[in-house]
Amino acid sequence: MKTNILNIIIALLVSTMLFSCKDEVETTKVNPLEGFIKLEEGYAIGAAAKVEVWGKKNFFMGYNNLTVILLDSINPTDTLKDAHIYFQPLMTMPQTTGMPMKHACPVENPDEAAINGVFPGAVAFVMPSMGGTWNLGVYVHNHKNDKSGTVNFDITVDSPTTSVMSVFTSQSPDSAKLVLSLLQPLVPQVGMNDIEFTLHKKASMMEWPADSTYTIEIAPEMPSMGHGSPNNVNPVHVGNGHYKGKVNFTMTGEWKINVAVKKDGTTVSKNAYFNITF
Amino acid sequence: MHLPGKAEPRKQKSAISDTVKLKEVMVMSNIPLDNKDIVNFYRTNQFSTLDNINARLGGLSLIKRGAYALEPQMNGFSGGQLNVTIDGMKMFGACTDKMDPVTSYIEPTNLKMIRLKSGTNGSENGCNIGGSMDMTLQEPTLNTKQSDFSSIAFGYESVSKSRNVLFSVGLGNKKWAWMADGVYRKTENYRAGNGQIIPFTQFEKTNVHSVLKFSPDKMNSFKADILFDMANNVGYPALPMDVSLAKASLFALEFQRKTKLKLKAKLYFNQIIHVMDDSKRDSLYLLKVKPVGKSDSVYMRMDMPGKSSTLGAYVQLIIPWNENNRLTLKVDNYSNYSIAEMTMHMRYAGFAPEPPMYMQTWPAMLRNVAGIYVENSTYLTQKLVLTANVRMDYNIDNLQSEYGQQQFSIFNYSLDKVQSKLIKSVNLLARYDFTNDFTLTSTIGHSERMPTIGERLGFYLFNAYDGYDYIGNPDMKTEKSNFIKLDFQLTKPKIKLNVSPSISFLNDYIMGITDTKIQAMNFYANGIRVYTNVPSAKLFSTDLQLLYTPIQNFSAFWLSKFTFGEINHTEAMPLIPPLKNIIAIQYQKDELQVQAECETALAQNRININYGESKTPAFAVFNIKGAYGFTLSKVLLNFSTGITNLFNKAYYEHLDWGRIYRPGRSLELYIKMSY
Repeated sequence: MKTNILNIIIALLVSTMLFSCKDEVETTKVNPLEGFIKLEEGYAIGAAAKVEVWGKKNFFMGYNNLTVILLDSINPTDTLKDAHIYFQPLMTMPQTTGMPMKHACPVENPDEAAINGVFPGAVAFVMPSMGGTWNLGVYVHNHKNDKSGTVNFDITVDSPTTSVMSVFTSQSPDSAKLVLSLLQPLVPQVGMNDIEFTLHKKASMMEWPADSTYTIEIAPEMPSMGHGSPNNVNPVHVGNGHYKGKVNFTMTGEWKINVAVKKDGTTVSKNAYFNITF
Repeated sequence: MHLPGKAEPRKQKSAISDTVKLKEVMVMSNIPLDNKDIVNFYRTNQFSTLDNINARLGGLSLIKRGAYALEPQMNGFSGGQLNVTIDGMKMFGACTDKMDPVTSYIEPTNLKMIRLKSGTNGSENGCNIGGSMDMTLQEPTLNTKQSDFSSIAFGYESVSKSRNVLFSVGLGNKKWAWMADGVYRKTENYRAGNGQIIPFTQFEKTNVHSVLKFSPDKMNSFKADILFDMANNVGYPALPMDVSLAKASLFALEFQRKTKLKLKAKLYFNQIIHVMDDSKRDSLYLLKVKPVGKSDSVYMRMDMPGKSSTLGAYVQLIIPWNENNRLTLKVDNYSNYSIAEMTMHMRYAGFAPEPPMYMQTWPAMLRNVAGIYVENSTYLTQKLVLTANVRMDYNIDNLQSEYGQQQFSIFNYSLDKVQSKLIKSVNLLARYDFTNDFTLTSTIGHSERMPTIGERLGFYLFNAYDGYDYIGNPDMKTEKSNFIKLDFQLTKPKIKLNVSPSISFLNDYIMGITDTKIQAMNFYANGIRVYTNVPSAKLFSTDLQLLYTPIQNFSAFWLSKFTFGEINHTEAMPLIPPLKNIIAIQYQKDELQVQAECETALAQNRININYGESKTPAFAVFNIKGAYGFTLSKVLLNFSTGITNLFNKAYYEHLDWGRIYRPGRSLELYIKMSY
C-alpha cells in the first residue's frame, strides 16, 4: 500500500515537472520539403534547368500544393533561386467524333524569387485521369541566363477516396463553371479548425482564373447523429481566390461540411459538400 | 441537528470541564451507527444500505435514479454543493451523470458514525455552501474485552430477492488491534406496489474494509485503513444506460497523538473506476428524419468509462489554549485527477458501421486544493458559547488534456491550462442556554464553492431528468451563499425536541440555462443547457425532530423535513422535495423490540416544468419490524423481521427520476450470529 501511494506521489510530481518545463524555443531550420515527395523530374530544354516537381502525394483531383525545384542542368548541385515558372496543365479528352477536347485547370504559379530555395505553387486538377490524359507542362524562364524552355510530364491524376473538390456550373444567369477546392483542414481535430477553400472560374478552356466575387457559407453536420456544431466562421476572401474561415468538430467521426457558394446573396451552388472523417 | 437520545444529562455537563461543554457547541448531528437505540429509527432494516439510513436523516433527501447509489441531497443542496468525506478524506465519483455518489462506495458496516453539518458551516473539510457529511470508518478498540469478536449475518428481502451477507471480525491485544468488515449483496429486479416488476433495478456488490491499529503507548496511535468496494451489473431504470462496474479502493494512514493537544495526521489515496454499460438496453433508434442514403433505423452504443483518483493529506490540531477557549487548526491538501470519455458506435440497419465518435465528456483534469481551517470556541459565560471558523482553499485546476482544450475552442473559449482561485468560508455560531432544558444555537455564515469539473468543462453530458445535454462553462464563477440557521433544542426527560430552520441566500447559483444556438448531440436530447451563474437563488429548510418517551420501554419518534427553493425570486427550484414525515413508535423490553412506522410525503405541486419536473402525488407507506436476541452457548443470536410497505402501495417520491415506482410490500428476514 505504501509503495502504491509512493508511486502515485512520484507520478504526480513527474507529471507536474513535465507540465512545467514544456516551453522550449524552436530553433530548427525550416525544411521547405518537409512532408513532400518528388513526383516528377526532367529537363526544361532551352532553359538549361532541371525541373523537379514535388507534392505531398501523387497528383489528385483537387488542389495540389506543388513545389518546384530548379537545378542548373550543367551543375546539378546548384539550385536556381530566380526564375519565372508557369504551370501548364493540359487535359486531352478523346472524343468519339472529331478532334479531342483539350482544357487546362486552375493554377497558382510560384513567385519568381524562390522561397527557402524552392518555388511553391499549386495546380487544381479538375478531373482525374480517367476521362483522358493529363499532361503537366512546366515553363521555366531562367533569370540566370535569360533562357527559357518547357518540360512536359505525362502524369496520372488520381481520384481521391474522399472528394476535396467540387466542380459545378453556377445556377446564376452567367452559368459560369466554378471550381471549389477544399484546402484545409488536412489533419482535422476535435475543436476549432481552420477551413480554407479556393474558388476558380472557367473563363475559357485554357483560362481558369481565381475569383473573389462570390461568398462562401459553411454548415458542418454529423449526418449519423443529425447534429451540427456551433460557432463556425464562414470563410471570407483573403486574396487570390482563397477563402478562409473556421470549422468546429465536437467529436471524432464522420462529418459533412455543406457549402453554399453565393453570388450577391443568392446561392449558386447545388448541394455542394465535403466529407471529413477522422 | 441535535440527535435526541444523544443529549448528555444536564447536571453532568455543567459539572465537568469546558472541553465537554465545548464539544456540545458543535451544531452537528452525530449518528453513531453502532448505537442500536438510535439507529433503529434511522434504518428500515438491519442490513440496509447507507442510502436507507440517509433517507431518514434530518435534512437529507435522496435523488433516485435506480435502486442503487442514491444521491444525497441536503436541504436542497446536492452534488458539488456538498462536502461528502470519509473521515475528512476527499473522494469524488467518476461518473459524469452522478450515478456514483461517494456514499455508494461505503456500507453502514464500514462506519462508526455519520456527522452532518448544514449550510456554509460544513466547511471543516473544504469550502462549501450546502453542508457536509463526514463518515467515520469503523475502527477496533485496543485492550478491551471487545477486541476479539466475530459475527456473521444474513439478510433477505423478498421484494427483490435480495440476499445479503454481512460480516465483521476483530482481533486485538494491548498494542495491536485489527478488524475487518464487509458485505456481499445480490439483488434482482424488484416488484412495485402495483405488481409490476421494474426492470434494471438489479445490482450486485462486494465491500470489504480492513483496519489495523497500533498504539505503542497511551498517547500515540497509528492506523491503516483499506477499503474496497465493487458493484457490478447495476441497473439504472431512470437512465438510458446501466453500470457494469463501479469500483472504489481507498487507502489511508493515520497518526494520532493525544496529550493536552490532540494531533491527527492523515495520508490517503483513493481511486474510483466507473464503467457505464448500455449493452442490455434496446439500442435501436428510429430517426424522425431519414438521412440521405441511409436507413432510418440506427443501432447506437456508447462506451462511457470514467476515472477519478484522489491523493490527499491533512494535519489537524486541537488546542485548548486556556480554560475558556479551544482552537482547532487544520491544514489539508488534495489532488484529484478525473477523466471521463465517451465513444459512440453507430450502425444504420443494413449498412456498415459508422466511424467511432469520440469525445472527452470530462477532459483529463488535475485539481489541487490546499486549505487551511481555523476554528475557535469561546465559553463567554456559563450560558453563552461563541464559535467562529474560517477556511481558505487555494484551488488550482490544471487541465491535462489538450483534447479538452480543443473541444472547448468550438465554443470560442481559448482555455488556459491552469486556472487558480482562492475561496473562503466564514461562520459564526452562538449557543445560548436559556434554561437547563432549552437551548438556542444560531449560525450565520458566508461561503463559496468551486464549480465542479463537470460544471466547468463538462462536454455534452446528457441529463435524463430534463432531457438536455449539459455543457460546462470554463469561466464559471464560484457559487456563494449567505446562510442563517436557528436551532431550537428542548431536552426534558420525556420529551426531546429539535427544530432547526435555515435559509441560504445564494449568489451566482450554478445551473444549466438553455442555449438554443447550440444543437443537441443525441437523438433523444431536447436541447443544450450551458452551466451558468444565475444571479440569485434561495433555499429555505426546516427540520423537526421529536422523541417522546411517555413510559419506560415505549417511545415515539417524529421527524419532519421541509425545503423550499426559489431561483431569481420567481421560479421554483427544480428537484426540491415536498414535506416529508417519518413517525415511528417503538416498544422495547430486554432483548425484544417492536417498531411500527409511517412514512408520508405531501404532494409536490411547486415544480419547474422547464427542468423536466411534473407534479408528484402524496403518499403514505407503513412499515413494521421486530427484533429479538438471545445467547446460546456463548453465541449471541439476533433475529429480526419486518415488512416494509405493508399495504403494497405503488408510489414514488418527488426526487425519483423517471417516476419509477418504488418497491412494493417486502418481507425482510435477518439473522446475526456473534461470538
